[in-house]
Amino acid sequence: MIRVLPDTLVNQIAAGEVVERPAAVVKELVENSLDAGARAVEVEIEQGGAGLIRIRDDGKGIAADELSLALTRHATSKIGSFDDLERVATLGFRGEALPSILSVSRLKLVSRTADAEHAWELGGAGHIDGAVPRPAAHPFGTMIEVRDLFFNTPARRKFLKTEATEFRQIQQAVSRIALSRFDVGFALRHNGRRVFDLVPAAGDEGRLSRIREICGDEFVTQSTAIDESRLGMRLHGWIGLPSFARPQADLQYIYVNGRLIRDRLLAFALKRAFADVMHSTHHPAYVVYLEVDPASVDVNVHPQKTEVRFREARQVHDLLFGAVHQLLRRLRPEPERHHQIQLAAEPMPDVVPGFVAPSGGASVSVWRQTARLDLREPSANRYAAPRTSESPGASLWQPPKPAPISESSAEIAATPAADARPLGTPLAQVHGIYILAQNDHGLVLIDAHAGHERVLYERLKQQLEEGGVPAQALLVPEVVTMAEDEADALEAQHEQLRRYGLEFDRSGPGSILVRAVPPLLGRDAVATLLRELVGDEVRRDSDTHFGEALDAQHRVLADVACKSAIKAHRRLTIAEMDALLRDMERTDLAGQCNHGRPTWMQITLAELDRLFLRGR
Amino acid sequence: MKLQVGRNELLSALSAVIGVVERRQTLPVLSNFLLDLRDDELVVTGTDLEIELEARARVQNLAPGRATVPARKLFDICRGLPEGAEISLEVGGDKALLKSGRSRYSLSCLKADEFPALGRVTDGRELSMAQAQLRSLIERTQFAMAQQDVRYYLNGTLLEVDAGRVRAVATDGHRLALSEATLETGISERIQVIVPRKAILELQRLLDSTDEPAKVRISATQIEVDLDVVRLTTKLIDGRFPDYERVVPESGDKKLQADREMVKRALARTAILSNEKFRGVRLTIDGSKLSLQTHNPEHEEAEEDLEVGYEGGPIEIGFNVNYLLDALGALNSEQFVMELKNADSSGLIHALDDESSKYVVMPMRL
Repeated sequence: MIRVLPDTLVNQIAAGEVVERPAAVVKELVENSLDAGARAVEVEIEQGGAGLIRIRDDGKGIAADELSLALTRHATSKIGSFDDLERVATLGFRGEALPSILSVSRLKLVSRTADAEHAWELGGAGHIDGAVPRPAAHPFGTMIEVRDLFFNTPARRKFLKTEATEFRQIQQAVSRIALSRFDVGFALRHNGRRVFDLVPAAGDEGRLSRIREICGDEFVTQSTAIDESRLGMRLHGWIGLPSFARPQADLQYIYVNGRLIRDRLLAFALKRAFADVMHSTHHPAYVVYLEVDPASVDVNVHPQKTEVRFREARQVHDLLFGAVHQLLRRLRPEPERHHQIQLAAEPMPDVVPGFVAPSGGASVSVWRQTARLDLREPSANRYAAPRTSESPGASLWQPPKPAPISESSAEIAATPAADARPLGTPLAQVHGIYILAQNDHGLVLIDAHAGHERVLYERLKQQLEEGGVPAQALLVPEVVTMAEDEADALEAQHEQLRRYGLEFDRSGPGSILVRAVPPLLGRDAVATLLRELVGDEVRRDSDTHFGEALDAQHRVLADVACKSAIKAHRRLTIAEMDALLRDMERTDLAGQCNHGRPTWMQITLAELDRLFLRGR
Repeated sequence: MKLQVGRNELLSALSAVIGVVERRQTLPVLSNFLLDLRDDELVVTGTDLEIELEARARVQNLAPGRATVPARKLFDICRGLPEGAEISLEVGGDKALLKSGRSRYSLSCLKADEFPALGRVTDGRELSMAQAQLRSLIERTQFAMAQQDVRYYLNGTLLEVDAGRVRAVATDGHRLALSEATLETGISERIQVIVPRKAILELQRLLDSTDEPAKVRISATQIEVDLDVVRLTTKLIDGRFPDYERVVPESGDKKLQADREMVKRALARTAILSNEKFRGVRLTIDGSKLSLQTHNPEHEEAEEDLEVGYEGGPIEIGFNVNYLLDALGALNSEQFVMELKNADSSGLIHALDDESSKYVVMPMRL
């Protein structure tokens, strides 16, 4: 017998998707507050959310006659038509959260709009059938109390983890939202204890202190700002330096139009950008914000809205990968920066008023450029000085000095300028492994093998890109079978892959005939590559090739570089060491070897002084 | 077990067998030789569980018996003893005592019963050919075998026996080498077996260039090559070798004929400036001029023009220079022929007026 399910049951089923655990409830409710224009949100938790979740905001509130509607399924003020759905700019829009939460808890909703004389309250346990709003006392805004979550679904209640674990999830959920709305204050309390109190952050200093509060001090000092705009999209935020590699992927925040997203494509692009400088078992840290035209992104993919689909996946990938990759490549050994990387100390212009605008990579790089220019100025002056002192009259009786000499001497005087050699002057080799050098800031220790490896690797990659990738034809073409849609995806990438030395034909619905392979790749590597190219849903959905064919060949080059780099216990003369350090300064990504190990360390004079208790 | 033997006699037996003993072992007995003393013969056996090598030495039998002794140590000791020295070897319990002049060595033994024997080929078919013939087949093809390829059936050489000929074929997927010897095999229906890479290389070491017979016995799972004093038994690779005859191209419309040594040297010179990893060389043939060009990422370039005989239209084609060098190195004729069709099709190399050895090389798009 087929029948229509009662509303309460429908809501409970929806609750299974939307509110799987207390943290999800908190997330939904806080997002509602933000959509209501709140400037301050207070979250109070008891017993890890299983006892009580109370959210109080100062938003625009809900009118008395709409209270019961708010607790009804698919009722929302956020969108009204399909066109609205096409360009959703609010966090919520499905109108599912409140009724779902109500269906599995004892819920009380108290709200007062700006023009109401007093607040109204409405509540119920599991449902509000027949309940009518009653007058209540409450300031402007809305308060929602959720007690005894899952009281009527014991199975789900049993699946709740310990109080501490559930609360950690809640804290993370609030943190994630807090990182997306610097203009809103957030307070979080657990069992009456204050966890954090984040004031609305004005200016960069405020934003940084919020980042510090949530991501930790180390992230702030070990990261660099980024800000890139391309094709109407903007990426900004903070990228942890490669040296800040984490064993877990726990410090990765990606926001798309202010919404926290856990998207494979985006994470993949960032992982690729870090691939060359981070060991594969480690994870980069980042807090980045992507702003795109709401019409170019579909957020209605997942009930929790943590997944999105981009119309132009390729462009989004390229922006993320390109911007972060470039940023990492631009990093040069800058000892003074490694120790003074307090972003807060830099007065940055407010780019986007009112929103999270950590003015980004642009300003950092500009700053770096000016620093370099400053260094050249004195040398230029020195060079110019003797000439201006020669008055035209003087030159009549004094033969002009031979220019080359004065020039070269001026240049010699200029070279020791502090930052021309950030890795310093080599002094000696330590146990045939490390190079000991000295720069203005103190001692530098360099792992000669790791440094040389990176220098060779970057050179090999450049050569590969310049020279083009040859294709070695196979004697017996190899048939690779795969699902039909996978073969479709591969075929769509045919032309792009040809450029990277891979040639194949479609030989059947679900089979590909590989005719030529890049000579760098062995049989296994080609098979792995093909799987990689089609194995991921992201890749199958789009006909784009994100450079994996090149990445696979880079992995081989990395191996070549590792094998051809100087080994430990190789005696180096000072001249050889000097050449290596200068090479490293010129090389991109020289801070890490191909495997993500650091290549050099700075020990400042201050640290040495501390060690020897000097000047105390 | 006790015996007396001349150092040279023993060493030649040991060195015939030592190649199969792997240096690193997880199974201790595999790093030992099995010594079996009966009548006036000492049989030395070494194995890696895939290949078994057996060599015989004439000795003075003082007390028969069987024992296993550490292979490499025994070999190194014998090699280090002066030429013509007399060796006495006595095994009792778990120790082997080796004496020669004033030198004494005590080696520890493992039980002879623990030594894994591969077993003789009894049910197989048999043929006999001159050692020189078999050696030539191997020498002219072995370089094209794959090495640790996932397609395990390429990590070896195909031996194909017909009534009137024996063929060896090896390929690594990019090039193929084929060599055949004409002889009455006495085997009527075609047999195809894949001999593992290591066994092929051992055979090449053991075979000499004489007309002495090599007796070959082939069963479904093993092949045995008996060279009188040495015998090699190996398991076969169980797999299907690619249909090589489809890969060998019909003669192409473009035929180049040239002095093998001249082209080989020119290729070796130009190879110096080819990309270390890709080893690409570009061949441009127009009229009677063959141009070889290479360049590397350091922007260094090599170019050689050679005078050759050529029929066909102008062509430009890229190859892995190593593949060409290997093929030309394996031929021994004065002149060679290279047949081509177009830049995307394989090239065929063989001696002038002799197609008993053929090499197929796939081009490389540079």
